[in-house]
Amino acid sequence: MSVEREFQIAPIVQEAVVHNSRTLLNLQSLTASLFGVGAGILGLESYSGFLFYLVCSLLTAMLFYVVRVAPTSLASGTGTGGGGAFDTSRYFRSQVEFWTGGLMNGLAGFILTWTLFYGLVRA
Amino acid sequence: MTWISKAITLFGAVLLGHACYSAQEHSALQSFKAATATLTSSSLAVASLPVDIAIETVIAIIVILFGLVLGTRPLRPIQWRVWAGKIEREGEEGFMDNDGEVNKDFVGNPFKFLETRPGFVDIRKQRKEFASWVKTSSAQ
Repeated sequence: MSVEREFQIAPIVQEAVVHNSRTLLNLQSLTASLFGVGAGILGLESYSGFLFYLVCSLLTAMLFYVVRVAPTSLASGTGTGGGGAFDTSRYFRSQVEFWTGGLMNGLAGFILTWTLFYGLVRA
Repeated sequence: MTWISKAITLFGAVLLGHACYSAQEHSALQSFKAATATLTSSSLAVASLPVDIAIETVIAIIVILFGLVLGTRPLRPIQWRVWAGKIEREGEEGFMDNDGEVNKDFVGNPFKFLETRPGFVDIRKQRKEFASWVKTSSAQ
């Protein structure tokens, strides 16, 4: 089935898509700077700092899934793509964007606060 | 709900601030020790961050993260049928912010144009009324 035909049969609410992705983006950019503060205080360098960021942003996505996405998605049962746990199709169009979108969105803020606090603490 | 997330975030921020200050003081103390050690020419091992400060930092980050996630706005279903069904069932209740206010871009019932329509109009009766009104106004 073509994509256009699929959209006509199961239409998508654009405002809801924008609202959801903006909520997620706000959270990601806020927490990325927070992780930068943590990495600076811990004094992480090079790869271990980026690994810290990777783990923390995955943790953010996980926590956001548990608090906001999972209760209603699993309760309704409908509106999901047929997947069991870790299915975000009720609120987000692509799974990959939900789980790994934070890595790119917050990287600049992370490095900014990381270097700042590393310099502040170890001056 | 919102004050819980704010309280958790604030508590985490206090922890993080304390950890940051402790780490800064620790590194200042280390550099002072190193300076005196070169004067007295005694050997000194370079100490890394104490483990309690590291633990405090990690816990503070997790606490703030939890508070921020709790403070996010509720999501909305993106599929039209799920979204419209939610409005039908819950009305304004389902589209509230954390503060208990309805969202500004809440549009209301999406089926309104189907559920309300004008009834039939008796055009002959209206025409008679108009004709009598014209007569009475011209008679005066």
